[in-house]
Amino acid sequence: MKLQEYTESNHNFEECMKCTVCTAYCPVLQANPLYPGPKQAGPDGERLRLKDPYFFNQALKYCLNCKRCEVACPSGVHVADLIQSARIKYDHTPPKLRDRMLASTDFMGKLARPVAPIVNAVTGLGITKTVLDATLKIDHHRTFPKYSGMGFESWLKRHHKAQAEFPEQVAYFHGCYVNYNYPQLGKDLVKVLNALGVGVQLLDKEKCCGIALITNGMSEEARKHALHNVDELRKAVVEKGLKVVTTSSTCAFTMRDEYPNLLGVDNAAVRDSLMLATRFIFEKLEKGAQLKFKAGYHKRIAYHTPCHLEKMGWGIFSQKLLQMIPGIEFTLLDSNCCGISGTYGFKKENYEVSQAIGEPLFAQIRSINPDVVACDCETCKWQIEMSTGYPVLNPISILAEALE
Amino acid sequence: MKFDTVIIGGGLAGMVAGITLQKAGKRTAIISTGQNALHFFSGCFESMQEPDQRVIDLFAEAGVRLHYTPGVRLMPMGTFKESALALEDIDLFPTPQFARKALIVNFLGYHDFFSSFLAQGLEKQGMSCRVRFLNLPEMEKLEQSPSEMRSVQIARTMDRIWEKVVQEVRVLLKDEDVVILPQVFGLQDISVPGRIRQGIPARVVFAGTLPPSVPGVRTQILLKKRYEVLGGTYFMGDEVLRAHAHDGVVHSVATHNLDNHYIEASDFILSTGTFFSKGLVSNPFEVYEPIFGLDVTYREDRNEWYNPAFREDQPYMQFGVKADEKLHALLGGQPLENLYVAGSVLGGNRPEFGTAAGQAIRTALFAADQILRREAPQEEKPSEEEAPKEK
Amino acid sequence: MNANEFDVIIIGGGITGAGTQRDCAMRGLRTLLIERSDIATGATGRNHGLLHSGARYAVNDPESAEECIKENMILRRIAAHCIDETDGLFITLPEDDLGYQQNFVEACQRAGINAEIIDPDLARRLEPSVNPELIGAVKVPDGSVDPFRLCAANMLDAKLHGGQVRLHTEVTGFIKEGDTIKGVHTYNHQTGEKADYYAPVTVNACGIWGQHMAEMVGVKVGMFPAKGALLIFAHRVNNLVINRCRKPSNADILVPGDTVCIIGTTSTRIPFEECDHVAVTPDEVDLLITEGAKLAPSLSSTRILRAYAGVRPLVSADDDPSGRNISRGIVCLDHETRDGIKGFITITGGKLMTYRLMAEIATDAVCRKLAVEKSCQTAEIPLPGSEEKSYEAVAQKIWESPTMAQKAAAARMGTRAERIRTGNKRDDALICECEEVSVGEINAAIDRLEVSTLTDLRRRTRVGMGTCQGEFCACRAAGLLAKAHGCVERERADLEDFLQERWKGNFPIGWGDTLREAEYTQWVYKHVLGL
Repeated sequence: MKLQEYTESNHNFEECMKCTVCTAYCPVLQANPLYPGPKQAGPDGERLRLKDPYFFNQALKYCLNCKRCEVACPSGVHVADLIQSARIKYDHTPPKLRDRMLASTDFMGKLARPVAPIVNAVTGLGITKTVLDATLKIDHHRTFPKYSGMGFESWLKRHHKAQAEFPEQVAYFHGCYVNYNYPQLGKDLVKVLNALGVGVQLLDKEKCCGIALITNGMSEEARKHALHNVDELRKAVVEKGLKVVTTSSTCAFTMRDEYPNLLGVDNAAVRDSLMLATRFIFEKLEKGAQLKFKAGYHKRIAYHTPCHLEKMGWGIFSQKLLQMIPGIEFTLLDSNCCGISGTYGFKKENYEVSQAIGEPLFAQIRSINPDVVACDCETCKWQIEMSTGYPVLNPISILAEALE
Repeated sequence: MKFDTVIIGGGLAGMVAGITLQKAGKRTAIISTGQNALHFFSGCFESMQEPDQRVIDLFAEAGVRLHYTPGVRLMPMGTFKESALALEDIDLFPTPQFARKALIVNFLGYHDFFSSFLAQGLEKQGMSCRVRFLNLPEMEKLEQSPSEMRSVQIARTMDRIWEKVVQEVRVLLKDEDVVILPQVFGLQDISVPGRIRQGIPARVVFAGTLPPSVPGVRTQILLKKRYEVLGGTYFMGDEVLRAHAHDGVVHSVATHNLDNHYIEASDFILSTGTFFSKGLVSNPFEVYEPIFGLDVTYREDRNEWYNPAFREDQPYMQFGVKADEKLHALLGGQPLENLYVAGSVLGGNRPEFGTAAGQAIRTALFAADQILRREAPQEEKPSEEEAPKEK
Repeated sequence: MNANEFDVIIIGGGITGAGTQRDCAMRGLRTLLIERSDIATGATGRNHGLLHSGARYAVNDPESAEECIKENMILRRIAAHCIDETDGLFITLPEDDLGYQQNFVEACQRAGINAEIIDPDLARRLEPSVNPELIGAVKVPDGSVDPFRLCAANMLDAKLHGGQVRLHTEVTGFIKEGDTIKGVHTYNHQTGEKADYYAPVTVNACGIWGQHMAEMVGVKVGMFPAKGALLIFAHRVNNLVINRCRKPSNADILVPGDTVCIIGTTSTRIPFEECDHVAVTPDEVDLLITEGAKLAPSLSSTRILRAYAGVRPLVSADDDPSGRNISRGIVCLDHETRDGIKGFITITGGKLMTYRLMAEIATDAVCRKLAVEKSCQTAEIPLPGSEEKSYEAVAQKIWESPTMAQKAAAARMGTRAERIRTGNKRDDALICECEEVSVGEINAAIDRLEVSTLTDLRRRTRVGMGTCQGEFCACRAAGLLAKAHGCVERERADLEDFLQERWKGNFPIGWGDTLREAEYTQWVYKHVLGL
């Protein structure tokens, strides 16, 4: 390389032209004036932090990690990564118990599952919510997702032989939500993939993708999860030659991008083979595979693109899949963050901001009055269901429902 | 994924081309690295000196009303610039002496609107000016943050409370015949500027602020929406890394987000902009076009890239991709038959297309017409009316 | 005494002049500082900002080295808020002679400089950006200093002790009675006013322009302008100063300063006519990048912010017109004894680092002439703002949970940051987002620090020193300045001058992100704002 042939900097922060477009598109800023905004928190702040870590600003915790600043940036600066990396590097405040609990989905899931009916009943009670609000500062408005008595893994293991008979195989990273809360989604995926002649198998042992650990100040823990998961992926991709699909847009995004960008975990060997199920299915259909849909299936669907999916640019695959179903009335909702951002919206201090951020989305949904909202992210689902009352389904579940 | 036309770069040129092609029934996709230069758009289309109904209609169908009024525009620093075609909320005057007395109204603590420069500029034209500041309690939330008093954030608040502003201005107004307000109205609600004008018994002139430009952002939102309503696919926040071409024909492009899921098309338009948006890349030795490696017109000696006087025209602004008379991009001196160049990435002196916004629009329409003509060579060529005019 | 009469007039608002005014004012003299442009516009504002440990001179010039380390230690005490105590490394690269190191360290020790040989591994850990191929490293008490802040603080202290300042005011002639200098004729470039000032003693502290002053008086001082070019990188790549452990040469110092780092410098003799129009050549740019990359390889792929050049006043040790024998140390010329001209002293030579000592020497000479017997206290009393060493403590004390901008203000203003806590939220609004400069900080500078142009403001507050180079903040600040001095037309011209200055520093390195930024700036000012 000749001198100055190109320049490099941490997350490209030097490419920032200070145009402030990122700041114009940040959802947090509109609702919370305490947040300095992506430009200040990111590229501006980075120069000061390089001078002295003292200049790290605690207010960076208000960043949703929605990545909208990055999507908007005309210069290709990884603004959100810069902000989250700064939090990882410079914020040494130990996470609160509440944040540990919210972030440890595997742990909470394992605890809750055996006693799911009791947990579900209790977390649904008003008194529980009041107590959680007062003690742990988990906002009382929030509804907790219900836990399922039987995990998805157990179910799939029962059908393991039948799945192994399909000519083509794919591995499924189910994630915490499908395993502990809503195994139906996993079953729906199996149905759709089987209909395409693809059998589904599990990875040897998954861990939670770790996104909540990253944003809640538990990056060392997240790193352990990442190293473990990349190893599991490697076994499937490199040793068995399988592709790995997920049904959660955030799990896909975290493992593909947050692992190398924020945790420094190398996933080059597996990244290209790890994808969202809707992309996998779309690519199969594009190459000639076919799905047969029920006659007379009719649904009015409003599709919400989760922020991480918008960042990945893969919303197009979910949209196009849904639009293939005959009898569908499809509306693409305007690009708007739902506001919950995973564990962020559960925290009392963020609740109002979360709701303010999501309000334009909720208003649009109400005005469209769909039969169902389609969305690939589970926390968006909780947020939209709680804030609008409309049911939310993953596109895979809708596909499964519409199949013959 | 396959489209009829893929447009690389979703700014003014890209969207004008996309809208034109979609309307004519083509399936198109626009791939854009991020938001674009319309965010710094002054509201006036440079080098559009003649009325162009096709352009006015295209924008009108998107909900962006333009007016053709050759004259001068009041600039944020109190100077005047000639223009002819502008957004509805931008006034164009026959001469700089457009009023006797002006009331300039700003918000207290808003540093991006230059009321003192405006006043002085108008006074030089023989007008007398009074500057007043509004102190609205609704702005308090914005003021809590040290970097929140900026145009787009204020505009969001204004969409809700513009009536308060009208009330306050009416109280302040004495015998001035013109009221000058910062251009922070009508971001999501495009009716606001018009309703403000109706509510104030004087001529209301909206003068610009530091970027982002509210009318620019509004225009961007409306054009993008129009494009999508027409069925276009806008890949926002994605970057085209490479293209696959041989024998003078481009087959597909690979993007950062879609990695090995290539985007194929019969035609491609390159409207990636200039250095700012990395349509052109520079280092100490060269200037190049990063996706296709197209021929670029620039000076070999780096000293010739610049004029040491800031206020003078800068040679580097003329650099850009070479294209033939049909706007086919040149690679190794040879035209790529299905790759067109539009917008500011086009280099050299092309007087037939004009400069800046005018160039973006004209080249986009020309390229779109070329593409449409390829499919229907027997039909009456719509572009005959739009033959490039001598500047 | 009437308003135009003083005890001493100091010509030149660089660090030497400001320091001399402070010392004189602290000893009770009525002082006037006259500067034709702004403070720190000569060599003071155009160097590395290196707080020398003196190690660089230890081998060839032990007296300078001793002077340096003593002053280094003093400045850390009295100018705490202007100084970053970074430490420094002298590295030996594979192509250098490792044998030089031993000699070097011994010379340092003799001069009183604590130079410590450390393992290259440790050096790499202390300074991750350092060239990993280094084969030797010596740690020294180098630091970095902000010369603008230092100059402003000296001027402020002089004012607090009753001193007066006339910036943008040029001395056009001397008032001579026989062989005695009684005063000066001046012309104010901003107002066009002419004024005469009187004092029994005048101090010539004009750096390289001191030659011209001397000629106007009718004495000869042999000065030789030597241009030095430097580059500023857009962010701080290193935290320790990095030097080459070898005979001092071109471009072998990389200094971290505030949010940037600076590589320099070169040395080229130039004719006097060029002193006011120095420009950086492409060859100099190439040399600086090439040599800089040897100290810290990442510089070859780091965005460059601007290029600038300054002129060193090299003073001849004798009357040899070729200037082969340059005086190494501080030169204080009492023109009464030397040339028979009474009431005129020249203080020159030296370096930024030793300004306080230079000022002390000059003030001693002034006091001798005025028969004033007061001792120098500038080494003991801290400059205003430097009373508390840690800016963290300062920020904590003033605001319990300071924001990023408040922390940045504490780092720049030291204890004087207290002034910007006005309780008015609007004063916290940011004008310069790159460097976190608030309305309050700017108003404080306008009030107390003799600001009349954007460039003046930039020097005192760092407005426009960030990567956007004034793209947005310049016109915001112009609005505030117009309000302060009331003349918009003047501010319009000022804004153009400011942008021209920024461009002058950008186009020699006008590629990559720098070119993108410049293009955007052109766009904003010409097409959006209509400047």
